[in-house]
Amino acid sequence: MLLLGGTLLAFGPRPHGKIPPGRVVVSYWEKWSGQEADPMRAVIEDFNATVGKEKNIFVEYVPMATVQYKTLAATAAGVPPDVAGLWPDQVVQYSLRNAAMPLDELAREYHIKPEDYKKVFWDMCRYQGRLYALPTTPAVIVLNYNKKFFYETADKLRAAGLDPTRAPQSIAEFDKYAQALDVYAPGTNRLIRAGYFTMEPTWYDTVQNIWFGGHSWDERTQKYNLLTPANIATFEWIASYSRRMGKQNLVDFQSGLGAFSSPTNPFLAGTVVMEQQGQWMGRLIDIYKPDMAQVIVPFGVEPFLPRVLRPFNYDWGIAAFPSNVPGVKDASYDVTDVLMIPRGARHPREAFEFMAFTQRQDQMEKLCGMSGKNSPLMATSDEYVYSNSNPYIDIYDRLAASPNARANDQTPIYNEALSLIEVAVQQVYLMQQTPIEALTEAQREIDKRLASQDELAAARAAWSSR
Amino acid sequence: MTAAPTTTATNTAAPALMAQPTIAAARPRPPKSGWGDIGKGLAFLSPWLVGFTVFTIVPIALSGYFSLCDYSLLDPPMPIGLDNYRALMKDQWFWNSMKVTAEYAILALPAGMLVSLGLALLLNRPIRGRAIYRTAIFLPTLVPVAATAMIWLWLFNTKLGLINYVLGKIGIPPVPWLTSPSVALPAMVFMSLWGVGYTVVIYLAGLQDVPAELYEAAELDGATGWRRLWHVTLPMISPVIFFNLIIAIIGVFRVFEIPLLMTNGGPARATQFIAMYVYDNAFLYVRMGYASAMAWIQLILVLILTGIAFWTSSRWVHYQGK
Repeated sequence: MLLLGGTLLAFGPRPHGKIPPGRVVVSYWEKWSGQEADPMRAVIEDFNATVGKEKNIFVEYVPMATVQYKTLAATAAGVPPDVAGLWPDQVVQYSLRNAAMPLDELAREYHIKPEDYKKVFWDMCRYQGRLYALPTTPAVIVLNYNKKFFYETADKLRAAGLDPTRAPQSIAEFDKYAQALDVYAPGTNRLIRAGYFTMEPTWYDTVQNIWFGGHSWDERTQKYNLLTPANIATFEWIASYSRRMGKQNLVDFQSGLGAFSSPTNPFLAGTVVMEQQGQWMGRLIDIYKPDMAQVIVPFGVEPFLPRVLRPFNYDWGIAAFPSNVPGVKDASYDVTDVLMIPRGARHPREAFEFMAFTQRQDQMEKLCGMSGKNSPLMATSDEYVYSNSNPYIDIYDRLAASPNARANDQTPIYNEALSLIEVAVQQVYLMQQTPIEALTEAQREIDKRLASQDELAAARAAWSSR
Repeated sequence: MTAAPTTTATNTAAPALMAQPTIAAARPRPPKSGWGDIGKGLAFLSPWLVGFTVFTIVPIALSGYFSLCDYSLLDPPMPIGLDNYRALMKDQWFWNSMKVTAEYAILALPAGMLVSLGLALLLNRPIRGRAIYRTAIFLPTLVPVAATAMIWLWLFNTKLGLINYVLGKIGIPPVPWLTSPSVALPAMVFMSLWGVGYTVVIYLAGLQDVPAELYEAAELDGATGWRRLWHVTLPMISPVIFFNLIIAIIGVFRVFEIPLLMTNGGPARATQFIAMYVYDNAFLYVRMGYASAMAWIQLILVLILTGIAFWTSSRWVHYQGK
């Protein structure tokens, strides 16, 4: 033991060499590593060299995988980081259990106001009227479509009464485009290219009701209500694709799709023509399929192209995913990464000093700009839009600011309900159940779980007050 | 030859020699008490004992307590008696994950045992390049789990994968390995054979311990190859088979990383193993008490199954010299 102790003392971990003496070290855990972490590292460097230097604070960036689980364990153990880079579902999870520090007073002190933010992102940071987080880089899920295939299929599209020069604008129109863009192996019914494929990607299958104006969670009654006309219509829509393609085609086609972050990505490889994706698609194209981004001028010269012309240099376009609700335009599904201060953080004030720094327009634009994303702030500079590597950044920005931008439901059993809804979607997709059967079963399970959660919450309240 | 010093000898001219221990003193003395040696033994064991207590015994005991509580990690544990266990009995997805695990066990356990034993028997024969084959079969066990999952994702890909390419060459249509609920679990079983190298090595060690004279005696009695295997090899390596069986029983209840990385339990929870459901409840749904109850049921099942294996072992496991 002595030998082990001596060895640890002699060769064990040392404080970070570059921390200037006398500074309060703010430990910041975040999910981004490698190149993905570069934008936030740049912001931290700025902070440490300016505000941090002035106020004797040093932010130490600690990248890690599954940061949400590690923060959870560390918070339970009483040794959390000062700042944790998490997601909006942790806002509810932590605040319900008094495990996140409310930030309202500090936000007021630092002049951080709701009107400075796009509403959808600000609302994600709040729960039951209190502020628990601040946003960093947002994701706006929109329709991505392959313009090249639209042009190549122009005659067929026109014959179906569709315009090959623009994206579909209603769900009915979308379905017609999708069907016209499907390609089957000659002489067979084997699908080799899908106009649209329900399970590519699988990440948003639980929020498809957004395009139908549906809600799973009823804010007023604080209950889940899956069996609404809009939710049923959503599931019917999913089932319609399965029926049209056939069960064998579904599983065969899905099984042949390539990996997301690779040149075999179905959208890049041209296997799927239209899909729901976020801003990262631009970066993925730059890396794995740059020829999709040099229709007019070569990839390297593109930055010199006037901003308005840049979208024409691309084989791929984006648009708001069409809505089935008459009159609803610019709908999108939105999420954001957030910064939180977990309960028990040693330096909450210093942590907030850093968080407030990230919310400055110049820093936010640096962070989001380098990530190829739009800003969660209302104000954006022309320079930011012009220099952003994503040619469609202004569209993302507009959609996020729209009143039809939608976020995840804030519910006490969000992750469990999501898992159950996901099973329902998969069962309908695989034609194992009808939409009504799948929704009824999910509703029953969710009700059971919510009732149990409510009972436990009441029992805990009584237990705590003893 | 130097005379041995005696106990009575005095020699002022040679103090160093006088300091030599006497024959009587050099004779080992019986220990005064056994506790001194036990204390020393425990002291040497203490790093492991401390680690085992802190990182295994205490967490197991705590999980037993948490299984009787409503505990989210972020709140203090609130005792609720057997409510978690009662709720589990009504949880259809718990039963689904038990069913998936049981189906996997029924297929993967005998398949793994048979394939590894078969390979060991082949590699125990004097064939050319035996060392190369042995190395090749053991190598996959050294590949990290995440890398293994990535490799198999590609192998199973319908359009780009090697397996369907080979099947296509012999006229078999492409199989949707991981996207069809009826095929995904058998695909996992098939994939589990990738890691038999470790078991093969243990079988090989057992096979090399079988005395050659037993085979000679069997041959003299006219036993064929199959009879030699059935009446000599298998009984002689039965302790090794038993060991591998116990390890395999424990292993099937711990299947986690591969399905998590390859299918995340899908499609439609067709590959959601019990360990994955425990993990989801503990960390994703922050229901640590509920997850602990599940983990305890898992532990009890493993104990029952290994208990049955031990109970039946007296009938089919033969230890040399007994």
